[in-house]
Amino acid sequence: MVHTTVVGHYPRIGDTYEEQKLRRAIARLDKGEIREAELKEAEREVVRDVLREQADAGIDLVTDGQITWYDSQSRVAGGLRGIEVNGLVRYFNTNTYYRQPVVKSPVSWKGPVLVDDWLFATEHSRVPVKAVVTGPVTLAALAKDEHYGTREALAGAFAEALASEVEALAKAGAADIQVDEPILARDAETLKSVRETLPRLNAAKGKARLTLFTYFGDVAKVYPDLLRLEVDSIGLDLVEGSKTWDRVAKVGSDKPLVLGVVDARNTKAEDPAALAERVRGLRHRVDLEASSLSPSNGLEFLPRAKAREKLAILAKAATLVGGGS
Amino acid sequence: MSALLTSTVGSFPKPDYLLRARTRASKGDLSPDGLRALEEKATEDWLAFQEQIGLDVLVDGEQYRGDMATYFAENLEGTEISGLVRSYGNRYYKKPILVGELRRRGPISVDWFRFAQARTRKPVKGMITGPYTMMDWAFDEHYGSREAAAMAFAKLLHEEARDLEAAGAKIIQIDEPALATRHDELPLVVKSVGVVAKGLDAKTILHTCYGNYLEIFPYFNRLPVDQLLLEMSNSGLDLLERFRQDPLKKQLSLGVVDVHSHVIETEAQVRGRIEQALEVFHPQKLWISPDCGLKTRSVEEAQGKMRAMVAATQAVKKAHGIL
Repeated sequence: MVHTTVVGHYPRIGDTYEEQKLRRAIARLDKGEIREAELKEAEREVVRDVLREQADAGIDLVTDGQITWYDSQSRVAGGLRGIEVNGLVRYFNTNTYYRQPVVKSPVSWKGPVLVDDWLFATEHSRVPVKAVVTGPVTLAALAKDEHYGTREALAGAFAEALASEVEALAKAGAADIQVDEPILARDAETLKSVRETLPRLNAAKGKARLTLFTYFGDVAKVYPDLLRLEVDSIGLDLVEGSKTWDRVAKVGSDKPLVLGVVDARNTKAEDPAALAERVRGLRHRVDLEASSLSPSNGLEFLPRAKAREKLAILAKAATLVGGGS
Repeated sequence: MSALLTSTVGSFPKPDYLLRARTRASKGDLSPDGLRALEEKATEDWLAFQEQIGLDVLVDGEQYRGDMATYFAENLEGTEISGLVRSYGNRYYKKPILVGELRRRGPISVDWFRFAQARTRKPVKGMITGPYTMMDWAFDEHYGSREAAAMAFAKLLHEEARDLEAAGAKIIQIDEPALATRHDELPLVVKSVGVVAKGLDAKTILHTCYGNYLEIFPYFNRLPVDQLLLEMSNSGLDLLERFRQDPLKKQLSLGVVDVHSHVIETEAQVRGRIEQALEVFHPQKLWISPDCGLKTRSVEEAQGKMRAMVAATQAVKKAHGIL
């Protein structure tokens, strides 16, 4: 039986009035009609909804949907010392934008950034919640560096700071921690930097299981190198990164994999039986019982109703994989 | 035309009465005619504002559009409209879904162009969302190939451009905010925009924003249009240095006010930006504009930014003796 998980973000609003409470709350905060505390409560209501939707769909390991994250870069980097958050920049090849972190002075950890969110989600979830941290190499690539001078030095500094965050999450009880390095799919040259920074995070994880996730493209060229990284499991986008699928089929894996098989960037519905059949093709090369199926990346690029459909497809495919092995 | 003409990118914020009316119309509490009357009023008010502050080239303000891609898609055959998807912050849009062969039922934006041009003697831009952006901002459940979808859009958007021209548009702007999304697809942007712009007599402008311009720089001169309209104040005018080394062979419309900031730039700030650009560009090759559409600002912020922009341009022209 293969498990199911998600990658990170989840649509924070839907198309019904009830599903738009966070949008309304933010608009009211902007107009000065409510205070931060009321916005926080609206966010938490949505987190509870998102946790319930994932569990209802049958997902085994969920996230808090990153409902409190403005974006993947400023939410994490903005909580560190040495960073100011600047204007909007396009986020990879998506039609979304992030506020660019600007590195003004040495980067360091000043206290937990994501721990409270993880604790809240865990308290309100029927199923385990994983913590997700944006990876140091991606942060370094997408930030504006006005201090370190080289991307590698900046990635090292981010890794040092994020190691404290990983340690804090593990101490708070997070059993699964995911480090996102989408930059690997854009630029295979960043493997070197990932190889240098990941051990620092791995050393801080305590008893937690650490997963490296990469998405927005293929990592076919460096796939065998990923398997040798100091990390417990590897997450892969096998939709935009369909070339990686062929490598997995050929090379296999001695680490558990998170197989991102459901397209999180297109509304077109997959056939769960066809997906399951393809995944079962990997069974002699990959330990499917230790691995998971997931969407190809976070689900926030889809409308909420379509995200729910994709979760259902994922759960159904996982059941079908298990049923025939 | 004279130098340092002022214009805007296309969209303006909708006044509160129109936002409320759109909500009512979406619930069936207001008739399409009732909504149209208010959209016309808002359009007339924005045209009057542009005239009043002295902008040279006007836009209709897109008071009748929700999202720039969705507006075109919902007027085509072969599309459906999805639920809300986040762009950034608290901004969401309904994304088109391509479910069949794309076909135009008839002209899409021509009626509003005519409405606006009939109310001013100044030129009004015809506004088209470009084929690459239309493709990139849609969920494709039909074509299965990004190139096939972009070229299908290009063909029908060329028909739209022809119709705008026939209706009197002397300037046609093709918006391609997605241009810099995938660098390996820049040849597809050039090819598909080329199909839209082919054989047009109108002056053609391509607008893009929020990309890594230095990486896509070699493509600027290959884009088959007469003018590029670029967001530049938000990116700190870094690009000007690059243009100094490698001159742009077409006109530049310089984005001088940040459309994502609530802060209204001072005339002196904007003036400084224009002066910097004049160190690199001949005034005849330079137009002045906001970075992007102003629809995300409040009416007051949008008007304040436009006023600062026009006042700064007039001050620069006076200082340089430009007519």
